[in-house]
Amino acid sequence: MIKEDNIKLIFLSLSLIIIILVFFFPFFWIITSSFKSPEEIISTSTTIIPRSLTLEHYNKILFNSDFFIYLKNSLIVSFSSMIISIILSVSAAYGLHKLKFYGNKFVEYSLLVTYAFPGVILLVPIYLLFAKVNLLNSYFALIIVNVLFATPFAVWMLKAFFKLIPSEIEEAAYIDGASRYIVISRIIVPLAAPGIASVSIFCFIISWTEYLFASILISGDDLKTLPVGLAGIVGQYQIDWGFLLSGAVLASLPVIVLFVFIGKYFISGLTEGAVK
Amino acid sequence: MKKSNIEGWLFVSPLVIWISLIILVPIYIAFELSLFNVKIIGTSGKFVGIDNYIKLLVKSNFLNASLNSFYWVIGNAICQTFFAFTIALTINYKFPGKKIMANWIILSFIIPTVVVVVIWKLMLSSSSGVINSVLIDLGILDEATGFFSSPNKAFISLVLINSWRWSPFLALIILSGLNSINREMYDASKVDGANFIQQFFFITFPNLKSVLFVLGLVGTLLSFNIFDIIWLITKGGPSSATTTLPLLIYETAFTKFRISQAATLSIITSFLLLLFSIIFIKSMAPKEDD
Repeated sequence: MIKEDNIKLIFLSLSLIIIILVFFFPFFWIITSSFKSPEEIISTSTTIIPRSLTLEHYNKILFNSDFFIYLKNSLIVSFSSMIISIILSVSAAYGLHKLKFYGNKFVEYSLLVTYAFPGVILLVPIYLLFAKVNLLNSYFALIIVNVLFATPFAVWMLKAFFKLIPSEIEEAAYIDGASRYIVISRIIVPLAAPGIASVSIFCFIISWTEYLFASILISGDDLKTLPVGLAGIVGQYQIDWGFLLSGAVLASLPVIVLFVFIGKYFISGLTEGAVK
Repeated sequence: MKKSNIEGWLFVSPLVIWISLIILVPIYIAFELSLFNVKIIGTSGKFVGIDNYIKLLVKSNFLNASLNSFYWVIGNAICQTFFAFTIALTINYKFPGKKIMANWIILSFIIPTVVVVVIWKLMLSSSSGVINSVLIDLGILDEATGFFSSPNKAFISLVLINSWRWSPFLALIILSGLNSINREMYDASKVDGANFIQQFFFITFPNLKSVLFVLGLVGTLLSFNIFDIIWLITKGGPSSATTTLPLLIYETAFTKFRISQAATLSIITSFLLLLFSIIFIKSMAPKEDD
């Protein structure tokens, strides 16, 4: 008789292999392809190990395109959105977590629904609104929208992190005469630092990857973000694959680098916090 | 009003005000627009009352997009639930490299959607895509197929691509739910002779209720909302087979320049989603126990 543990082991190895193939191979594929010669990229015979090795695509995108302008725009928009989102959501999460007030459940559920609020519904009216108040073609237009999309989930995650802080620490500080402000800035924020770090990455990623609004609210080439710039190449009739692939790799690089340093906290933020 | 009431609202109000302004003002504008007949942005139209709504509800492309959206949400729910549980249950076991895997499985979620589009456009290309050549080498296909060439294939391909992006993220949230389940329950059930399939349905699944509630609500709304993956790959085609409501709204406003119609669509859509959310929360919300 085959033991249950063996069946488990077979299942586990099989699904591991499939998961690695499905979720990691595509990355290997575009990274190696971005170093292949244009002919090899579009050739019909598949080469797992590249036959040709060239930096021409990277050369072209770095020194012969608007890449750095898009990069700068994406960085400015994402960082500003992240900082504003964090300030607003730390405050809101603390209020929801510590101060039971009339209507807190309503605010909580509304936030949850807002998180998933279809942005496309707002697209037309926000475009008109921003046109009226002269916000079209500005970083701030994108920041306003990104904060809207990032904060609801940020609050949700932060609340869970705050719950992990024993309330005795806070109470002891109040007995010692500390004010609410001191308690938040000296106790809550430092103790929840890993949580705040992971929520920050989340907010950054949301803004970094946003395409829909950036494509409509910004029309000037000098203000376009990376996703919009890349999508411009995707939409072309004759796609220059090498150019596009190196652009895709470079556009993913910042979030990946960020993730190398604080990804651990991000994952623990999701895995420890999100449920509670 | 108690002190904690005022203080509580003080803390949440900056965010609540920000969000309400950016949602409610546009919705008001959309509602106003839906009662007029405005075509190109910036021009004014004449008052038509509920004409837009009546016209829209009998239009075939609205029905088509609603149906597509419905299939889209259902298809994604099925695929993502399956993928996410497979990933979560796999990573939940101990194996060498587990930590690295658990951290990096989310890669598909943190890269820009446009990059997801680039990856799959290249891999699924009909002329030189690696998937086609592998399927031919394995003898599954006779010749290269266009994954986006027929309505059904395009729709299924898009559902799979979108699930590829979202499943790892969902898996991590399910994983957190799994970790919060008391291990002793599994040990006890083992003593009683339960196998791991029974354990899944009688311990794992019921204990994930509150996580699944949130995922059910947020996940449905989020997949409904998907725009860029579909738009950048198929533009809603072939023959509108992948035009979901978000794409229809976008097209109506920015390629056909029927602003009032787009606004009407937005209002109807938000009404439907609100209705769904209220029913879902009222009927499925787990009881608070803390």
